[in-house]
Amino acid sequence: MNPTIAVQMVGADFLKLHKKRSIVVWALVLAFLPIVIFLIINGVEGDSPHFNDGLNALARLFGPLAAILIGVEAGTTDSSNGVFRDLVVTGRSRLALFATRVPAALALCWLVTLSAYVLLVVGVSALAVDGYPTPNAALILNALAYTALATGVVCVVAVGFGSLTTSKPGAIIALIAWQIVASPVIVAIETLGSARDGVLTQALTHFSPVGFEGGHHGGTILTMSTGTASVVVAVWLVVFLALGAWRTRTMDA
Amino acid sequence: MTDAATAGLAIETHGLTKRFGERTALDGIDLQVPRGCAFGFLGPNGAGKTTIIRTLLGLTHASAGTMQILGHPVPAERAQALQRVGAIVEEPRFHMHLSGRENLRIVSAVRGPETAERIEPALARVGLHERADEKVKSYSMGMRQRLGVARCLLADPLLLILDEPTNGLDPGGIQEFREMIRAMVEQEGRTVFVSSHLLDEVEKTCDAAAIVDRGKIVTQGAIADLAAGGGARHELILGVDDPERALGILRASELVAEARPDDEGLRVVLSGEPQSAAQLNAELVRAGVGVTRLEPVRHSLEQRFLAVTSRLDADLVPAEVRG
Repeated sequence: MNPTIAVQMVGADFLKLHKKRSIVVWALVLAFLPIVIFLIINGVEGDSPHFNDGLNALARLFGPLAAILIGVEAGTTDSSNGVFRDLVVTGRSRLALFATRVPAALALCWLVTLSAYVLLVVGVSALAVDGYPTPNAALILNALAYTALATGVVCVVAVGFGSLTTSKPGAIIALIAWQIVASPVIVAIETLGSARDGVLTQALTHFSPVGFEGGHHGGTILTMSTGTASVVVAVWLVVFLALGAWRTRTMDA
Repeated sequence: MTDAATAGLAIETHGLTKRFGERTALDGIDLQVPRGCAFGFLGPNGAGKTTIIRTLLGLTHASAGTMQILGHPVPAERAQALQRVGAIVEEPRFHMHLSGRENLRIVSAVRGPETAERIEPALARVGLHERADEKVKSYSMGMRQRLGVARCLLADPLLLILDEPTNGLDPGGIQEFREMIRAMVEQEGRTVFVSSHLLDEVEKTCDAAAIVDRGKIVTQGAIADLAAGGGARHELILGVDDPERALGILRASELVAEARPDDEGLRVVLSGEPQSAAQLNAELVRAGVGVTRLEPVRHSLEQRFLAVTSRLDADLVPAEVRG
């Protein structure tokens, strides 16, 4: 597939996604509302909003939920609308049809979550009380990269999982349940030992530029090496991309 | 369109078989669809019409057999084969939250940049230009069918594959669709492969057809030949003033393959071309037999269909027959 066609196909997938009003609205609500509430509460109480808490809320909790909505929509929209067969009969490779969903989903995901991140940075800086530190440029950039990583990885996993299941409601429910129920529960079970390192949220948290206090803002936080965290993230990406691609390539359209 | 592009068969299958577990949906299908015609694929519901279309287009895998589309073996050269193929499988489906034009833009992006310039002509061709910016969810079934055809036209197709294209259309829409198919064949030189369970539809639209039943091709050929029961068979109904004498003359004539009395008069099967009916009339008149009626028998595809298919569903019988 030549680059021109690839770019056009990504654009077409982005068109399908960003015109899906319900998904975009919910993703914006999930990404922005917690930040807005966080800033309002801190502003009303006269306390300086702590950047770390806002970043935690966005990158670990609500941003990934927005990413799940967008990723699953990207992975299932052709199948659920019955349009997949019409794309297959163009003769274009099914793998190409799958592959272009990923950058399109990432583009929308980052547009939403990184916009919310910008709001967080601006809000924290504007509402800072004298004497409280505001994030410096290095932290802002590192946190931006972390937010992009944390939401982007979840989004790609959601594209793969959505493509695998081809069921939008099923995939959304399963991934959100995994993200907000199963993952914290598994991490809290100490007898599982180092097997808990395999939980994606934990591996992603390793790359956070700010510390999270265990049990305070996001449940138990495991410590692991950068190598382990990288491998865990890579395995999640590879496994779900492979499963999504396999299903897209082999299913009856 | 070049001669090379129109030469040969549009679709050719040999021994095409598709099994779903224990059930055989297609059983050794040998199908030849000539280029430049409207070809009907006729069969009762569940006969395997959609399955063969889905198999040809690579939507599902064949269990055995070989296929060629526009001279390209599939699935080996599927991309090249489908480059100039447009298809509507079952009902046309779209992203309902997008406009008609946006839906075409999506398929155009997948087909390649050269197809972008065909979007506006395709919309104009099917009469949707004015409403192309409305969301598809506001379209009627007929408009969606037309948008489906516009989507096919993005490929500038040498071959259109339409699966039950008139399903859900009102009589006006059906007529419009027939005319569109005929124009595509006669004016644009395309091949149109139409699957249908409606005999009337195929008979009025198509030049040739295959009848499929229980996953097997029962017969295929030109519509007139199919209706006549294989080879061209020209029959006449004769009204005469002396049936006994006329029967003797007819049976002795070289122009007649078969002659017998029936309820309407004498039924005569000609041994040659239909023009020989005039000579036969002259023979009878010369022999002093008064001919009061000489009428060619028009065989209907329906009669042939009913004869060759083993099952009959109520919806196989045209509405006018059902009353």
